[in-house]
Amino acid sequence: MRDVVVRYPNGVTALDGVSLDLEPGEMVAVVGLSGSGKSSMIRTLNGLVPVTSGTVEVGGHDVTAARGRALRALRGEVGMIFQSFNLAGRATVLQNVLVGRVAHAPTWRTLLGAHTAEDKAVAYEALDRVGMLDRAWHRASHLSGGQQQRVAIARALAQQPRAVLADEPVASLDPPTAHGVMADLRRVNRELGITVVVNLHLLDLAREYGTRLVGLRAGQVVYDGPAADASDRVFEDIYGRSIRPDDVLGAS
Amino acid sequence: MTSPVAAAATRPAVRAAVVPPPRPRGRWKASAGWAAVLAVTALTLAPGIGVEVDLGALARNWQNGADKVVALLQPDWAFFPRTVEPLLETLQMAVIATAVAGVLSLPLSLWAARTTNPHTALRGTVRAVLDVVRAVPDLLYAAVLVAMVGVGALPGILALVLFDVGIVVKLVSEQLEAADTGALEAARAAGGTQLQVNRSVAVPDMLPGFWTQLLYVLELNVRASSVLGLVGAGGMGLLIDAVRSFYRYDQLSLIILEILVVVLVLEAVSSAARRRLV
Repeated sequence: MRDVVVRYPNGVTALDGVSLDLEPGEMVAVVGLSGSGKSSMIRTLNGLVPVTSGTVEVGGHDVTAARGRALRALRGEVGMIFQSFNLAGRATVLQNVLVGRVAHAPTWRTLLGAHTAEDKAVAYEALDRVGMLDRAWHRASHLSGGQQQRVAIARALAQQPRAVLADEPVASLDPPTAHGVMADLRRVNRELGITVVVNLHLLDLAREYGTRLVGLRAGQVVYDGPAADASDRVFEDIYGRSIRPDDVLGAS
Repeated sequence: MTSPVAAAATRPAVRAAVVPPPRPRGRWKASAGWAAVLAVTALTLAPGIGVEVDLGALARNWQNGADKVVALLQPDWAFFPRTVEPLLETLQMAVIATAVAGVLSLPLSLWAARTTNPHTALRGTVRAVLDVVRAVPDLLYAAVLVAMVGVGALPGILALVLFDVGIVVKLVSEQLEAADTGALEAARAAGGTQLQVNRSVAVPDMLPGFWTQLLYVLELNVRASSVLGLVGAGGMGLLIDAVRSFYRYDQLSLIILEILVVVLVLEAVSSAARRRLV
């Protein structure tokens, strides 16, 4: 990312000159208060939020210049996980995971629901990796929050991505489930070597699961370093205030 | 400041009753209400006098009305065999029109909703055409189509399809716009084209609502197609027109009964189906 500025039509400047180099295989925790630009930053990485100026390059491709087919191909290589899971509630778990295959499938196959055996095999494997294979035929809306987020991770894995972006993946989950989902993300990072960028607002999660920590305040990078070294002072600097009890999730 | 508990301990019992804030004065609302009642009364009476609503005629011609009511209360059961074929035609028209309308409405609904069609010009066009389609009453469609393609079931079916598409697309596209867009964003982030996003995520979530609306228009079609025959568009209506012009109110009464039964059965079936869908 080079000098990235994102300004929304309503005049809000979400990112104000962000430059970052993320290395393949890292697990980057992005922390900051709500409104600091975390969500905007992660969405510029797959072109969901267009940048006002600057360039974003992912895996050798320029996201800012990509349109149409090129942009979709690039998005196909980057999985995304959301705070509110964003599953199609009426569809089965398997159908949701197969959504991860859209960039690899011709449109007519998606329209007819005629998925190839290979696509299905990839989907089953992704579900197995998050321990949700036995729920393949359940309706997504019938699952608990933690299970839904696991299905969402499987959907991202089904893309066979080079990187996974996670926007506050555990903010809607209770503490034990949150640790479970974060551990899943860490396994994705370590076992599959997939780069993971995860937005968090809880400092203990960032410290425990991140290998690198990026602090955002008012759209600017105010910290960039190893996550384990980040002291409470660092977080106070990122948040611009003292640490409060609700900034930590608590033990797993 | 002392806490309420401490205060209660030292100075027991006497606590003033809670005083509500003064109610905002809203006298204009009452006067506006009365003005509305007066306006509606005036609007009802004035044209009534204008078009010469003569309530006295009701009393003078009561014998006339009573004869018809008596005839209607004695259905001519022997007429039943002649009603079977038109009744089946009405049902066929309703089912065919609903099926065709369903096939047309699914893509049109996705095109008419902001969330599933970001293309403003295409969306505006689809919506404008459907506004026109919805503005024309079904009986008028039937009358025009009879003139175009001739008497029979075909113009009736076409009229019903137009009528149904207008309703279903309107209701389903509004349902789409009210739905959560998270899953759509996820599919877009996975690199899907708009078509793929709509098919893989929007369609599964919209289907229950879509089926519900289709069942609803099937009911409407049975009612409507029994009237369309009045202008020559097939079904029960042709028969209704025939018996009415021969003042056979006993036969008309049988036809009304049959439509009633069909509509009730359909309603029971569709509400059972709806419970399983939603």
